[in-house]
Amino acid sequence: MPADNTPAAPDQWQSVDQWMDSPAFRDLMRDEFPADAAEWLDPVSRRTALGLMGASVALATGCNPSLKPASARKVVPYVRQPSGLLPGVPLFFATAMPQAGGVGLGLVAKSTEGRPIKLEGNPSHPSSLGGTNIFAQAAVLDLYDVDRSASVLRRGEPSTYDNAIKAIRDALDAQKGKQGEGVRIVTEPTTSPTLTRVMGDLLKQYPKAKWLQYEPLAGDDRLAAQVAAFGKPVNPVYDFTKADVVLSLDCDFLAAGTPADVRYARDFISRRKVRSVTAGLDAKDGIKPEAMSRLYAVESMVTCTGATADHRLPLKPSDIDAFARALALRVGVAGTAAQPITGMGATWVDQVAAELTKAGKAALVVAGDTQPVAVHLLAMAINEKLGAVGQTVAYTEPLQPNPAGAVGGLQALVADLKAGKVDLLYMGGVNPAYDAPADLEFKATLAAFKGLSVHHGLYVDETGVLCNWHINAAHFLEAWGDVRGHDGTVALQQPLIAPVYGGKSPAEVFTTLTGQTVGDPLDLVKATWKAHFEAEVKGPEFEVWWNTAVREGVVEKTAAKPAGVGAVKLDELPKLAAMTSGGIEVQFRADPSLYDGRYANNGWLQEVPKPVSKIAWDNAALLSANTAQKLGLYETGWFTGDTGNTYGWSGGEHGRTNGQMAEFTLNGRKLMAAVFILPGHADDAVTFYVGHGRDRAGKVGSPSGVGTGFNTYKLRTTDGLWAAGGLDIKPTGDVYLLACTQGQYAMEGRRPARSATREQFAAKEHFAQVPAATPGEYKEIRELTPGTPEDFKRLGKKHPFAGGGHDGHDHATDEHHDDHEVHDKRLIPLSLYPEYPQKVKGEEATKTYRRWGMGIDLNACTGCSVCVVACVAENNIPVVGKEQVTKGRAMHWLRIDRYFSIPGADEGDDQLGDKSVRGRNRAEQAKRSADIRVHFQPVMCVHCEKAPCEVVCPVGATLHDADGINAMVYNRCVGTRYCSNNCPYKVRRFNFIQYADYATPARKLVNNPEVTVRTRGVMEKCTYCIQRIRNAEMQAEREHATRPKDDVGRPKIFDGEIVTACQQACPTGAIAFGDINDRTSKVLRWKAEPTAYGLLAELNTMPRTTHVAQVRNENPAMSRGNKGGA
Amino acid sequence: MPQVFPKSMNVLARLLIFGLPLGAAGGAVAGTAFYRSDYTTGAREVWDQPVKFSHKHHVAQLGIGCQYCHTSVEVSANAGFPPTQTCMNCHQQMWVGADALAPIREGYKKDEPMAWNKVHNVPHYTYFNHSIHVGKGVGCYSCHGQVDEMNLLYQTKTLLMEWCLNCHRNPELNLRPRSEIYNLRWKAEDGSVDTDGETIEPGSQAEVGRKLKEKYQVRGSQVLTNCSMCHR
Repeated sequence: MPADNTPAAPDQWQSVDQWMDSPAFRDLMRDEFPADAAEWLDPVSRRTALGLMGASVALATGCNPSLKPASARKVVPYVRQPSGLLPGVPLFFATAMPQAGGVGLGLVAKSTEGRPIKLEGNPSHPSSLGGTNIFAQAAVLDLYDVDRSASVLRRGEPSTYDNAIKAIRDALDAQKGKQGEGVRIVTEPTTSPTLTRVMGDLLKQYPKAKWLQYEPLAGDDRLAAQVAAFGKPVNPVYDFTKADVVLSLDCDFLAAGTPADVRYARDFISRRKVRSVTAGLDAKDGIKPEAMSRLYAVESMVTCTGATADHRLPLKPSDIDAFARALALRVGVAGTAAQPITGMGATWVDQVAAELTKAGKAALVVAGDTQPVAVHLLAMAINEKLGAVGQTVAYTEPLQPNPAGAVGGLQALVADLKAGKVDLLYMGGVNPAYDAPADLEFKATLAAFKGLSVHHGLYVDETGVLCNWHINAAHFLEAWGDVRGHDGTVALQQPLIAPVYGGKSPAEVFTTLTGQTVGDPLDLVKATWKAHFEAEVKGPEFEVWWNTAVREGVVEKTAAKPAGVGAVKLDELPKLAAMTSGGIEVQFRADPSLYDGRYANNGWLQEVPKPVSKIAWDNAALLSANTAQKLGLYETGWFTGDTGNTYGWSGGEHGRTNGQMAEFTLNGRKLMAAVFILPGHADDAVTFYVGHGRDRAGKVGSPSGVGTGFNTYKLRTTDGLWAAGGLDIKPTGDVYLLACTQGQYAMEGRRPARSATREQFAAKEHFAQVPAATPGEYKEIRELTPGTPEDFKRLGKKHPFAGGGHDGHDHATDEHHDDHEVHDKRLIPLSLYPEYPQKVKGEEATKTYRRWGMGIDLNACTGCSVCVVACVAENNIPVVGKEQVTKGRAMHWLRIDRYFSIPGADEGDDQLGDKSVRGRNRAEQAKRSADIRVHFQPVMCVHCEKAPCEVVCPVGATLHDADGINAMVYNRCVGTRYCSNNCPYKVRRFNFIQYADYATPARKLVNNPEVTVRTRGVMEKCTYCIQRIRNAEMQAEREHATRPKDDVGRPKIFDGEIVTACQQACPTGAIAFGDINDRTSKVLRWKAEPTAYGLLAELNTMPRTTHVAQVRNENPAMSRGNKGGA
Repeated sequence: MPQVFPKSMNVLARLLIFGLPLGAAGGAVAGTAFYRSDYTTGAREVWDQPVKFSHKHHVAQLGIGCQYCHTSVEVSANAGFPPTQTCMNCHQQMWVGADALAPIREGYKKDEPMAWNKVHNVPHYTYFNHSIHVGKGVGCYSCHGQVDEMNLLYQTKTLLMEWCLNCHRNPELNLRPRSEIYNLRWKAEDGSVDTDGETIEPGSQAEVGRKLKEKYQVRGSQVLTNCSMCHR
């Protein structure tokens, strides 16, 4: 750490405070946990303390007289054990989760003794291919949520399902004469063939009834553009594997919430995993740098896609439309006109148009749902002009039955409600009372509705509480069903458990309403597919075909048919909309964690820091430093460079950020919200995530009746669904505490996430090796990085990929030979550490035994955070809540560090051009939104071979296993927290209070029985999913007689047999895990890469987890500075 | 000034000089003995059960194999506890009206599971796996004792961590041919023919164990005593 009087600017920074090097930041960096970390939660008087002491003595002696090491328990076996079930052996069932737009993600559910505890992607499902997104990972927690509705309610009083059905049927019968004219059915969008069939039957009986598929974030503009272009709605399916140049017009296709985000992320990243093939190195899991695709992103908010992009242009919403027009004109789309664009955008139009034209049919332009009709039309036209249709983009028949504008439909519904045309309003799985556009005043209209209103949902939510009847719904893991993936392929949903809180699926309810009786809900789905089988498959045996489909989770040959579209018609291209009064524009986006608010009561999702802002449990008005300055939303001193100020509002150190409160006024609608300055955000624009601020989400989403965050739906209206101009912002002077983990684990400016451009990589493959802090010493650091060729040499072993002239080792030693005079004393292995490796059979374990190691490919990380949730689900990691997060006590074992950097405008490295710039200059730099680059870096315990945590533990609660696992023994830990103090990676988490919920019976059901549930006062951290390792080991060892042997004669554990939770969840394959001593392992290949580096390896820790530095495929004509390599 | 202590105190002082350390040592010995005693560990403590199931009767007298009830012992961490159905397989035919079996019949009829008292309890943070022990040649007898002589089941070993470690440090002392896993009366001196047909010559337990350790590729103590083998 630099001396206080000569602060050096960090090259990569996590928070504005760190960038500005404020004194407050420096103070906070001195502490491991925040200053008040150990305080009592409530003030305790001496009297209470004595009382507690007395009580605990009484507890120790009186209440638990047993001295036995383990308490006596009951064992309750089955009466009749289900066939195929073995106690202690989990079963796996294919199922699928309907997500945004009703589009399904194929899953495989792990069931332990009858309860689903973990969801993984179904490798057979085209939308998943084995990956998942955060919503799928967190879905099991919703299943057991104690706030779920457990009974049918009639005006808030418990009733029965039969009564509810009778009431609805009476209302329907009354409609018989009117052919159902007064019936309105609102459901969430569905792609289910069974539900479509059932609804068809129902609507046949009531032909004039109206069925609306509504969700607040439906892509209405996309749909309208398709109708304008082709005369009918279609479903675009992109193929990113074929795309050489991609332009995203505010389309966050890498983030959860976009249909097919998992598949698209995998496809896109498959063209980004750069592997420099050194001699003998098989690059199976990567691509050569020349084959990299290039991604341009134009967007307002800093999204995962923008952060991953090679070039990112922040534009306020209205400018994106203008940009698309200028680009279309430049690409040569006929029938377009555009106003000239100036500044950065002009360069962009030139370069992007040239690149797209050059790529031709290997180009792809994608437009996000936030964009207006014109942008969608132009994107389709550009794709057509470039010849990309049929190559990188295909149009299929739409997935939903009769897709129509969702918000338009709701508008009509509200009009009908007000006009008294509606007698029966049925709402299934929707919550318009919370999320409908504010100008529709749906809540008031529903409250005043005189007819029969019915709500069917998982929770008695804002809408449910206003309805006459509420019917509790079954979770998707409790019901039979079917759902289409992004390309139309049908996945079958199997129930994993009988409904925990009762509940019926939509298909059951609607079938009952048609007058049929539902015996087994399975029959509904089976009937649909029996008809399909007889009509299309025509095989010999339905049951065999059906069982195969259920087991695989995918119905073969059900992908949507090509839509057969003509040329894109641009006749109806709307004029460039002039946003009202220019001013500040607002954009509404789906929340990365809560989507449209439907996941608001999920603690796992609430606690995941949002990918770029790193805010948990909240949303805030996100804006750029420039805009903040313009609006006066900053503390005096920041922009003048007076570092004497505290900067408390901007930092996020130890999970705290004070956001300035402001009053936002849009067309007379007002909202109070906190402001968060996000480097890289477009100027003159504010981004609001929707989905927070729910009144009735449950105990998690609305603690004590107040929703987390701010309900930004209050500003969203039908004419400004996604963006609007003329936002008025008035700072109130109040301060709001945000839980923001971004600066919590700062690593003293050591530039942990390394990246370079393709050119820099070509010039110097080893760019990631030399840390800025220690010139030279490449060889020593490589030796201290397990798995590298140098490490094998140190151990006297031959590395499988070490031969050849283009070998990393030789090259690098030559290059840095001169630097060795600048010898860094820290690099000599310290004798203080216990002699690891341990000996197995008289030989060093590192040589002869399994050596578990992990590789993390920064090329493939999009920051989506699914690994974080997967880790939480697998390892019983507790939810701690906003208050604890603001104290720096978030428990996630795996975090994704997000760094910003500003490539120098002048000559020099990927760092601030001149280290001496201070205060005002730094503030100026932070305002260069367009230049700010975002880096993601997943960090968990790296399992150091010389682990600093182990030597300081007074009770030996953390120590090494022979296979190199840095084990944590919970039952030995006494909670001194020395280990955490001594950990340079800041990956140890402490149970300051009793976080794990032992009290709620339903909450226990989701726990993984393979992992200890930790109690108060215990340290914990990443175990490399030790339970998965040991189980695989035991299986291999059990089969020792029949298995092939590995190099040292032990039963071989095949590469890929052990998959950690984070690795399994990752859609892009950014994580590899395996045995470094296994010559065929993927992780060893990764570690032999010249770009592989050990995080903080210069500290002698010998990390078993190494990172592969990122290589970006920047367009040389657009790069700024950035010539020296990072 | 008079003496503070009378002369008679010398005896007491001498007694104390020798007695205090002796007392402390004795206390320590007594303490550790108490810690390992049956009273503390629960060894030899006979638990009452809802139905007085006798292993002696079923195993020794009727000759029913362990795996008839404990079906998953070779593939799962749990040996498997028999469902009521397993009892009824036989008791639908014999002792149909016996009073002792009433809870079984009632539970089966009403679909209510039996709640047995668990005899061998291991702490929650310890992950014991039956399948790997059975797979590597550790017989039932080694941990559960002479089950075929017990009417109501009881624990014969301390189940303390030191007891686990004794075997993890010297596994050969408890290894037997896989053909004799379920044989509660096998001795190394008996010899055997292993499941793969290999003849295991009679010998001392140490000798036979060493050979089997090699054959079954049982891992060394350096690995078997790693914390995360059992704690995770």
